Amino acid sequence: MSDATAHTVEHGEHEVGHAPAPPDRRNLLQRPGWVRAVMYGAISFGLATAFVTGLRSLGDLDPIWELDVLLTAWTVVVPLGFLTGLGVFSYWIYWVTGKPTLPDDHSGHGADSWKDYFKVNTDHKVIGVQYLITVFFFFVVGGLMAMFIRAELAEPGTQLIDPNAFNGFTSVHATLMIFLFVVPVFAGLGNYVIPIMIGATDMAFPRLNALSFWMLPIGGLIILSSFLLPGGAFSAGWTNYAPLATQQPDSNLMFQMGVQWAGASSIATALNFLVTIITMRAPGMTFWRMPLLCWANFTTSLLVVLATPFIAGSQFLLMFDRVLHTNFFEVAGGGYVVGYQHIFWFYSHPAVYIMLLPGFGIISEVLSVFARKPIFGYRLMALSLVAILFLGFSVWAHHMFVAGMAPWLRIPMMITTLLIAVPTGIKVFSWLATLWEGKIHFKTPMLWAVGFISMFVIGGLSGIFLGSVPIDQHASDTYFVVAHIHYVLYGGSVFTIFAGVYYWFPKMTGRMYNETLGKAHFWLTFIAFNVTFFAQHWVGLQGMPRRVADYDPVFADWNMVSSIGSFVLGASTLIFLYNMLVSWRSGEPAPSNPWRALTIEWQISSPPSKFNFDEIPQVVGGPYEYGVPGARHVVLNGSRTVETEKPEPATVGAEH
Amino acid sequence: MRKTLYIQLLLLSVVIGAITFVISLVVISWLPKVASEEGERIDAIYLFTSIICIVIFAIVAAVTIYAMFKFRAKPGELEDGKPIHGHTGIEIMWTLIPTILVTAIGIWSAIVVVQNDDLPDDHRIVAVQAQQFAWSFTYNDERDGLGGMQVGELVVRVNEPLELHMTSPDVIHAFWVPEWRQKQDVVPGITTFYRITPTEEGVFPIICTELCGLGHSVMRNQVRVLNDEAFEAWATEIRSAVDGGGETLGKSVFQNQGCAACHALADAGATGAIGPDLDSVLTGQSAEAIRQSIVDPNAVISEGFAEGVMPPYGAVPEDQLEALVDYLATAVGDGS
Repeated sequence: MSDATAHTVEHGEHEVGHAPAPPDRRNLLQRPGWVRAVMYGAISFGLATAFVTGLRSLGDLDPIWELDVLLTAWTVVVPLGFLTGLGVFSYWIYWVTGKPTLPDDHSGHGADSWKDYFKVNTDHKVIGVQYLITVFFFFVVGGLMAMFIRAELAEPGTQLIDPNAFNGFTSVHATLMIFLFVVPVFAGLGNYVIPIMIGATDMAFPRLNALSFWMLPIGGLIILSSFLLPGGAFSAGWTNYAPLATQQPDSNLMFQMGVQWAGASSIATALNFLVTIITMRAPGMTFWRMPLLCWANFTTSLLVVLATPFIAGSQFLLMFDRVLHTNFFEVAGGGYVVGYQHIFWFYSHPAVYIMLLPGFGIISEVLSVFARKPIFGYRLMALSLVAILFLGFSVWAHHMFVAGMAPWLRIPMMITTLLIAVPTGIKVFSWLATLWEGKIHFKTPMLWAVGFISMFVIGGLSGIFLGSVPIDQHASDTYFVVAHIHYVLYGGSVFTIFAGVYYWFPKMTGRMYNETLGKAHFWLTFIAFNVTFFAQHWVGLQGMPRRVADYDPVFADWNMVSSIGSFVLGASTLIFLYNMLVSWRSGEPAPSNPWRALTIEWQISSPPSKFNFDEIPQVVGGPYEYGVPGARHVVLNGSRTVETEKPEPATVGAEH
Repeated sequence: MRKTLYIQLLLLSVVIGAITFVISLVVISWLPKVASEEGERIDAIYLFTSIICIVIFAIVAAVTIYAMFKFRAKPGELEDGKPIHGHTGIEIMWTLIPTILVTAIGIWSAIVVVQNDDLPDDHRIVAVQAQQFAWSFTYNDERDGLGGMQVGELVVRVNEPLELHMTSPDVIHAFWVPEWRQKQDVVPGITTFYRITPTEEGVFPIICTELCGLGHSVMRNQVRVLNDEAFEAWATEIRSAVDGGGETLGKSVFQNQGCAACHALADAGATGAIGPDLDSVLTGQSAEAIRQSIVDPNAVISEGFAEGVMPPYGAVPEDQLEALVDYLATAVGDGS
């Protein structure tokens, strides 16, 4: 059948040959789902508590009720019980125990109603949407914390929240934004589009994919739950440096353990992307014909797989110091404080690229489509990603120029840090050259893409200042750094995320977003972002350190400007949320290819059918051959090329 | 046609570059005034980096703005752009030129690092202890008769090279004087070094820049840079104060240990608000209870305050601790 008739935007039909699973006749407590999950979670809680207190009383340890040990046990065992109850492990448990596994029923595949998004699902498109909804929830929560931070900093002195709450909000804000928003949002977008872009019906390991997703909200909830513990949320910053972290109340464990779940989720997804991209490309899809987003996710996944175990290790060692009384970072027991920072940054610097490279990929897709031109220097663009991958592992100690590490290490780390500007510069220059002599259409995704380039250039240039050891000795740990990371991660990553979400929204939902609201969102964010963060460069260089609940009154005026900007920035996000929600429910139906793009995901229906393709796509050329007469990227249904696809809604009506 | 295009672009770059140059190097003063030899070298490399960055920014901004207006599609236009796939020469150019520029920044920076690390042999050494949330300074060498003197405020001689040997008994702190430019973390378990040659007299803030707990934002002190005459007068004054000893010791321990950063105590003019107001919570307490609150602060927690915020001050020398307890026992409640 052709995809034009098989799918309505309500995606209510089942495909022939994939009958729905027979109804599960077990009662609610026995069959996989939320009821069983809560029950298993509660049982696990009881078992963990009994195990810890039982062992402690047997060993005659005092006190029997030791919160740090219990928290460690709970944060490991309760999520495992919950996930088992939810059914994430069902297939594997059946397989291991020799029960029939029903491999062909596809019961957990695809979504027929909104309820299916709350179940364990193995469809990469459903998982992609689950990821996106989850991470935007944490984006809003983290953003609200930023509002509290800026409200407190609007004036010198203590007005709204005390230093403990302030440090808690700054720490949790950064943790959520990094581990629960920017890193996983790309897993969400990638989940949805990467398999389709390479012509695959799903990810390589769909069940592992479901597990990856469900570990993420667990990590987020553990991190948020630290607010409920005695002493308030963990407040040693998202870097959680020892020994301040060890000195803190037990809520610090929630950072250490929450990061494990988010990190495990990240690693599992990355492995899945790697295997998918290496083994599941459609016939003809060579590496040199892959869209740059696939290249970006490929290199990012390599970074994740190699680097993430290091932050897991750093947090496990901290947890051991607290719970098992080891001395990895305890000076009194011979520990080495700076060692923590080496392990931490060996992940957390590559993490910067984990948060940027997929965005680079998105920008390449968007720019070439909306400038109607091939990407300038495609191969060098792909190779520069690989260069960043390698260089990215050799620059971590530039976060530690003043940290008291071996002095000789500063010079080589400075050189590699400065050199990483070269492949990054190649990308920026190539994007600009892609615009050159194009036919630029300023739709919302394109505004975000061009906005990204301008903001990212500012963030990149301030990075050169910080990369130079002598300048860093002055600017390190000041508001200059705060401004720099927000230009890189907000003006950089978050702008690419918005570009990507607007770009693929029609594909994911089958509806168009509201263009006017999209543009209003961009301009308001763009202006408010600069009002919020630009002056912080100056404030920092003049002498305002970062992570302070109170500051020298000479900086009062610019902090007030920052705060006002941040409130507008927060409000601009409401426009986005409103646009997404309303357009998803009642936006105009989207044609299959509203942007006249060449990559494969736009050659199938919006939203795609349950298994994406009715036939295996045949890739015959590069992904960005705009303006090349007769050039094609893919052959599907024998007839789909960009020349025959009309963007006008009238054509869409005819399709139905 | 093509030639005009590039001339227009060049003009736009020059205009943007000039505007950015004037704004960022003439109108706005980004750095505070410099007060050290090392800082002057840092400012030079800062200026060099700024100029390179302004040029790159101007080119990028000009191309972006120019392309946005010049290559915009007309409404309803469905035509594609020119199918340019790349240009090896240009790609090599924008790989090589940035490589050369950043290498130049790197080499100059490395030279500055080496110069700033190198201090003449006749430098003064001062031991710095950073702890939550206070700084204290001990003059290690014998010159000016200051050997072994511990003070709560750093006082140095202008143009005299200075090396700070910094330690921390609790968590990581960082020593930063914005006017001196240099910054260095103070790390438990190791000694870190801060080398500086002050060139300007005056009073400058010392700021902790590494998150060190609840009092991080108030962990400040100041350095006074004096000329030879004033410095010697100060040294004489300090020597006689310590020789006097006795009653004022408790109060000076209170200041030197940084109690005032978190606690209010009217007698000492302290107004810290991180921890309890000592005038109210210590009134009527026994000397034993006061001592316990210093060396084991979590034993009794005042209402409205969290456990684990105040670190135990068990390392204070016994005679100083005794003087501090006596001082607190008599001073509380006096001012209110």
